[in-house]
Order: sequence, then C-alpha cells, then structure tokens
Amino acid sequence: MSRFALSIAGVLAALSVHAASLDVQVRDASGAPLADAVVYAMPASGPSEARGARSAEIEQIDREFVPYVTVVQTGTAVAFPNRDPILHHVYSFSPAKSFEIKLYSGKSPREIVFDKPGVVTLGCNIHDWMVGFVLVVSTPYFARSDSTGHARIAELPAGRYELHAWHPRERSSVAPQSIAVEGAASSAFVIDAAPRRPRYKPPLDRLKY
Amino acid sequence: MARAPRDRNNPGMASLGTRLVLFFVALVVLVQGIGAILVIRSNGEVAREATDQALEQGERVFQRLLEQDRRRLEQSASLVSADYAFRQAIGTNDIGTIESVLRNHGARAGADLMTLASLDGVVRADTMEVSRVGHPFRFPELLDAARDSGKASSIATVDGRLYQVVVVPVLAPEPIAYVSAAFEVNDALARAFGQLTGLAVSFVEADRGGQWRVEASTLEPGLRSQLGPALAAAGGTARVGEIGLGGEAYETRLSTLATPGPSRVMAVLQRPVAEALAPFRRITATYFALTLAGLALLVAGTLVIARGITRPVRRLADAASRVQEGDYRRHVDVQRADEIGQLAESFNHMLDGIVSREAQILRLAYEDPLTGLPNRAMFQEQLAKAVDAARAEDGHAAVLLFDMDRFKAINDTMGHPVGDQVLRDVAARVRAALAGRETLARLGGDEFAVLLAPGGDERGARAAASRILAALEAPVAVEGQAMDIAASIGIALFPGHGDDAPSLMRAADVAMYAAKRAKSGLALYDPRADERRREHLTLLGELKRAVEAGELVLHYQPKISIADGAVEGVEALVRWRHPVRGSVPPAEFIGFAEQAGYIGRITRWVIEEAVAQCGRWQRAGLELRTSANISARDLRHGDGLVDFVRGCLEREQVPAGMLRLEITESALMDDPKSAQSALARLRELGVTTSIDDYGTGYSSLAYIKQLAVNELKIDRAFVSGMEADQRNAAIVRSTIELGHNLGLAVVAEGVETDHELGQLRRFGCDFAQGYHFARPMEAAAFEAWLLRRRAEAVPGSVGA
Repeated sequence: MSRFALSIAGVLAALSVHAASLDVQVRDASGAPLADAVVYAMPASGPSEARGARSAEIEQIDREFVPYVTVVQTGTAVAFPNRDPILHHVYSFSPAKSFEIKLYSGKSPREIVFDKPGVVTLGCNIHDWMVGFVLVVSTPYFARSDSTGHARIAELPAGRYELHAWHPRERSSVAPQSIAVEGAASSAFVIDAAPRRPRYKPPLDRLKY
Repeated sequence: MARAPRDRNNPGMASLGTRLVLFFVALVVLVQGIGAILVIRSNGEVAREATDQALEQGERVFQRLLEQDRRRLEQSASLVSADYAFRQAIGTNDIGTIESVLRNHGARAGADLMTLASLDGVVRADTMEVSRVGHPFRFPELLDAARDSGKASSIATVDGRLYQVVVVPVLAPEPIAYVSAAFEVNDALARAFGQLTGLAVSFVEADRGGQWRVEASTLEPGLRSQLGPALAAAGGTARVGEIGLGGEAYETRLSTLATPGPSRVMAVLQRPVAEALAPFRRITATYFALTLAGLALLVAGTLVIARGITRPVRRLADAASRVQEGDYRRHVDVQRADEIGQLAESFNHMLDGIVSREAQILRLAYEDPLTGLPNRAMFQEQLAKAVDAARAEDGHAAVLLFDMDRFKAINDTMGHPVGDQVLRDVAARVRAALAGRETLARLGGDEFAVLLAPGGDERGARAAASRILAALEAPVAVEGQAMDIAASIGIALFPGHGDDAPSLMRAADVAMYAAKRAKSGLALYDPRADERRREHLTLLGELKRAVEAGELVLHYQPKISIADGAVEGVEALVRWRHPVRGSVPPAEFIGFAEQAGYIGRITRWVIEEAVAQCGRWQRAGLELRTSANISARDLRHGDGLVDFVRGCLEREQVPAGMLRLEITESALMDDPKSAQSALARLRELGVTTSIDDYGTGYSSLAYIKQLAVNELKIDRAFVSGMEADQRNAAIVRSTIELGHNLGLAVVAEGVETDHELGQLRRFGCDFAQGYHFARPMEAAAFEAWLLRRRAEAVPGSVGA
C-alpha cells in the first residue's frame, strides 16, 4: 500500500514543473498517523545554497518545550523565550550542540546558533520531565508532521532529492528515499517509533514553585 | 489361727490403700499423660506454626528491608544521575569528573560500587575497577530493564562477592547513560537484617551443579559451613522445612531474591526450633510440675481417705480375729455414720447373735433338755476339772451315781410322758435336796449323777447320798397313783476309787449296782466288788463248763398249803457245785449269767431238769407240782421258751399243769409286753405261772390284771419284816387280798417263824414257803424229808 502510494507520488512529482510542493504522509508501524516526525529533502546535486529562515523560537509554556520538535537549517539562531512565571534552565548535552541557558525568565537571554547538523536534545535542569528536540539539517527543505501525520514541504524546486525522515522516538533510523520532484509531489514514510510516554509533571496548583 | 497374726499385722489396709493409690495414680497419669501428649503435640504444632509465622513475618520484614536498601540505592543512583554537573560531565565525556562524582555519591549513599555504563552497555567508569572500563557492563539485562522502567535492581555476584545492584538511566532529559550503584551483601548486612527480623539470615547462591554457597550469614562459621550441604540435602527447593545445624533444628525458609539472570541467590531465614519451643518447654515443665504436685496431693489424699476406710476396717478385722479366738464380748468401737459404721453396727449385732447362739449351743451341748440339768458331757467335763483341781490341791471329789430302781417299769407301763414327768420330778427333788454347791446331772435314761467337790470326802458323800435317798423316799404321784421311786446310789471317791473321771464313773457305776444288788440304797465303791466282777469273767467260762459237766444241781423247797399243811409242790432252785469253790449260791452267778446273756441256757437246763424230776416223782407216785424260775430275758424270747417247755413236757410225759414257771415281778416290769404275751402262751400250753418276789417290782394292778398268771409270791422281805414293822404286815395282808381279788393264789416266801405263819393264816394266805418248813434240798433229801414229814404229820401239824 505504501509502496503503491510512493510510486504514485513519484509520478506526480515528475509531473511538477518549477516550484512544487511535497506532501508526505507519516505513519507508525501500526499504520496510525505519526505526529512530530520530521521530513527533509536533501538536493541530489549537493548541499543547497538556498537559505531559509535564519532564526527560530522554542518557547517554554506551562513547563513544556513548545514545540516539542523543531527543525532548523544549519546556522539558525534559536531563541528560548520563557512564557512561564517561573524560571527555567535550558540545556543540551547533545554532541550537535551543547549549551545551557542558566536560570532565566521572560525573553531568552541569548540565542543559540545551531551550526552543526544533528539532533539536539533539550532539557530543563529544573524540570526533569521537560524535553524537546531540535533537528538541525543542512537543507532549507523540511517539514514536521502534524497530528494527522501530514508534512508538507512547500516551495520545493523541481529536481531530484534524497528524502529523509526522522522521529525523536524512532527505534531505528529510516532509510531515505530518492525522489524527483516536479510540481506537486507526495511521499509517505513508516517510522517505528515508541509512543510518547508523558513523564510525571506535578500540577501547578499543588507545587508552588 | 496360724495366719491370724500375720493377717492382723499385715492388714488389708496397706493393700487397699495401695490399690486405691495405684488406681488413682494410674488414672491421673493416664489422663495427664494423654493431656501431656496432646499439649506437647499441640505445643509442637503451635511452636511450629509460631515459627512459621515468625519466619513468614521475618521474610516480609526481610523483603521490606531489602526493598528499602534497594530504594536507598535507587535514590542514590537517581540522585547522581540527576546531578547536572554529572550529566554535563557525561555529555562532555569528562571521565575524571564522572568518576569523582560517582565516588562522592557512592560514599554519601554507602554504596560499595558505582559504575557508569553507556547506553550501548559499555562501562565508562567504575569506582572499584578501572580495568572494567571499555568492557561490557556485567548485567546488560539490568540496563534494558532500567531503560524500559526507569530503574532496575538485582542481587548478583560480582567477582565472587554478592552485591545488591541498582541501575538507573542518566536522563538529559533523555537517557544518555546508566548509573549502577551496588553494595555488598556481607555478614554485616546479614547481621543487621538478623537483628531486625529476629532470625538467622543467610544469603546463599546455588550454582549450576546444585551446590549451595553461603555468601553471607549471621551463623557462626562452624554452622555456616553446614548450611550449604544441609540445603542441598533438603532439596534446595523446599520453601519451608526443618534443617539440622550443629545438632540443633532450625525451621528454615528460603526467600528468593530478585535475580533476572540464571544465578539463584536466595535468602535463608532460620529460626531455631528450640527457641520457638522454649516457652512451651516452660509450659510443659510447669504442666509436669503441676501434675507431680497433683499426684503427690492425690497420693496423700488417697492415703488419708484409705486410712479413714481401713482404720475402722482394721478394727473390724481385729474384732473378727478376737471372735476367731473366741472372744465375743468386746464390741467394735467404730462410731461412724457411713457404710463402715453400719458394718460395725452389723458386726456388733452379729457378735451379740453369736454370743446368744453360743450360749444356746452350749446349753444344748451341756444341758439335758428334759430336766434342765447338765448332761453327761458336761458332767464328765466338770468331773475331770474337779479331779484335776482335787489332785492339785490334795482335795477330795466324789461321784454319786444313781438311777431309779423301777423307772423302766413306770416308763413302759405308763408311757414316756409319764416317765419324763417322773424324771423331772426326781431332778427337782434332788436339786432341792442338795446344798447347791454340788453338780447334779442327768446322764441319760433314769441315770443321774452328782459331783461333790469340794466336800467330796466319804462323810460328805454319804451325807449327800442320804439326803438324795430321803428326797426320793416319798412316792411320786403319777396319774393319780402314788408310785415308789426308790433309788440306788453308788459312791466313788477321789482319791481312792479312781485316778480320773472315767475310772471314777466306772467305780460309781459298780457301786451303784452293788447297792442295787444289796438293796441297800447306797453303796460305797468296794474294790472287792470289782474283783468279784473280774471273777465273774472267769466265772462265765466256768459256768458254761458247769452246765455241760453237770455241775449244776437243782435243790427243791416245798410249798406248803397253809390251810392243811399239805405239800402242794416244790420250787426248784439251781445250785452250782463248783469243783473248787464248793457250792456257789445263785445270787453269785444268776445275776451274772443274766448280764452275760447266758441265763437262757441255765433256764433251759433248770426247766429240763425240773420237768425230768417231776416226771420221775410222778412215776414214783409223787404228785409234786414243780416250779422253775425264769428270767426276764427268757420271756423276751417267749416263743422259743414255750416250744422248749412243750418239748420237755412231752419228752417226760409230764402234764403241763404239773409245771409252774415263776417270774419275778421286776423281770415282768423289765419288759411287760413280752412278758404278757409269753405268759399267755404258757397258759395256753397249760403251764401255770407265778409272779415271784411280788412287791418289789412296782407293777400296777392294771397290769397284773392283764397277766395270765395263777399265783402271787410275796417277797420274803415283807414276810420276814412283818414282826418288826406293822406296815409290812399291812402290805402282806393287802397283797393277799389283792391276789385273791384277782383270783390268784398267794404264796408267802421266807416264812421262818410260827408267828409269821400264824399271821399269814389269819390273813388268808394260801401257801407258805420257808425255812420254817424246809430248806431247799437235793431231790433225794427232799424225798426223805417228804417221807419223814408224811410220817410225822399225819394230822397235819402245819397250823398253830
């Protein structure tokens, strides 16, 4: 079914002319739509010179990183505004980007520039349950699946790409797909991801922090 | 009697008491024993249950402790894993910092070993062995478990030591590594657990070969080495069981510890059975002590009760022994209201009964029921005592023996009731006549005896005898008739006439017969009479010979008709011409022959000879009616006598009327019935009969009247006493009248004087006999006398 879908998507992509868009449907191993999956297309011709947005924001709302998963192009500076009335201490020990922003509130004291591709796991030194992910990719063509498992990479120039999929709880990495994009194209991925286990989060009204 | 003392001294009390004690002791021992078995068994069960419970509780506590330790380790590991600097050090792979943090936290938590492993299971830091770094983590399964559930723990061996191991992931905030904290499970830990659980705690590990290795234990080293083999022997799988260690039983429980791997580490929780049993041992000891105390009380109480029973019983037994020995007088002194009291009362009643019955038996044994006098047995007993006493004191004793001269006649003619009345009368009279110190006894029949002691010398005896005779002088009144009951008394004295009671009795008997013969009323024992008696014995042989050898001869005494002086007949009297002694008077051998049962032979000889003489005289022309004497004994065999008489008469061709048979009145009275029928037969034969010695036999008129007799012969005693005593004359006269009234001829015997003859003639007496006319003479002499008389007395000079 998915292969059948893939082949149709390939045909549709081949039909697009200049600027096209790529719709990717992501499902988990059981066939259910998978949210928070990242798809990104690497031009077959090599790293793209095209540059997307150079800044991003990851908020802390109600003691959670929002969004849970963020995709940025290499070199993007990310701000971590604190929307909570309490302090947060954002850190990452990930090899792609190790940093920490010590206790702060309100506006992010500084922006962090993610200059290496890779996965950066975000945590809060105060709130153990807070977790967030930043996938740093060296392409401007990427998207994140919504709750229906749908991800759309818009304004994708026609051409050949290597399409990658990633999920923070994937049990194994997913093989990239080679696709040719012409006009509107679509693709699909199946990612075997562990379900998101909500970590215990003490209710606010009980813990006056 | 022989066993009586033993019975008394070793009384039934002991055995009864012992039996009671044994019974109750056995009962209590049985009941208490069953109780003890139940108690001990249930104690054991309870102890075991308690032990099981203690072990179960201990196990729960133990597991809880282990859990707490695990939590402590987890916390420690979690703490270190959450340390920002630590995570930063991991993130930056700062090994030095990592190790120092691990050591720091390990020391803080008391962990013995801290290890950091990468997500792919490689050791990156180890507080104990640096060489482990770069090698795989020992318990990869713990890592997996920790990743999945946030933490994992196990008890496992590391380098031969047992550890409790906890693994937690290091979150940043996603897992970036694993921290493992472990502490050694050693003796100190076992001791700590042991103190908290109150059990012996050991940690053992089973290897693949089924061997059990003790990793840590509260047990002493000596016992510790036995635990492994003991567990192996117990199968190792048993959760609960009893194991012997060092000679002591341990209730054992195996508690499996969480081990994800193949190694089987278990906790061995033990409790000495003795410890659980200890309180029950105390209870059991108390139980036995109480039982023993109860037994002691029981024995004491039973003995007291038994004594309460046996003491009066012993008293009863003693009383019974006294009774056995003949003492009935003392009552048993047991005053109780219970059954024993009733028994004692019954016993006393029984004693009274025995006393009264014994008195009655004694009376029956020693008393003559008719007269109430002592009987022969008692008399002999008393005589023997008196003789012994007299012998001992040089005293005297006398036996007076007497019977009634004519009692038999009274008894036979008047009947026994009358005879009994006479005897009672006699007894009463004699008793009244005696002073009271004497013993009067009825020996049997009409025979009485008197014992005189003291005062039993000759003078006293004679005086007593005289009093008795005087008392019996007066006739007894029997059925309106006065009857004379003259007695003959024989006296025997001690010392002198016998050495003992039997010889004295015999001597008195001899004397009594002597008195009878002599008609003297009383006679003192005369040893010569006894001699005569002995002579009689030789006499018997001689008498038999005499009959055959013709030593007996008949003498004839004429019987004279008083009216005309004619010789009416003769009385044939037997004489014994003894070749040595000469002529023996009939008194000396007739009585003897009667006693010896030989009189019949003599009587026949006499009759035969008399008939023969009568026949000779008849043939010679002398018509002499011939009389022969027969005894009482001859009448008893009346038929034989009659036949014999007939034979003699026929042989000699003598008419029966020529023979007269004389029988004494006393002989008639001896056996009146035989006499009556014999006399009747003789009369039928034609033989005339005569009552001899009339007046001595106490015959009644009624009796005489019935007898077929022709003649009465008045006893010489009356005839010869006529001159001296007018009363005798009166008797003679009345007898003559009596005889005539009965149609009998009357003959007076012993006529010696003219005066007597004259009186007899006046009285109307028919015939007379006596020396006045002639002595008894041999036939030839008689014939001569008769011829001379006939020649002299033609006119019949009998008269005047």
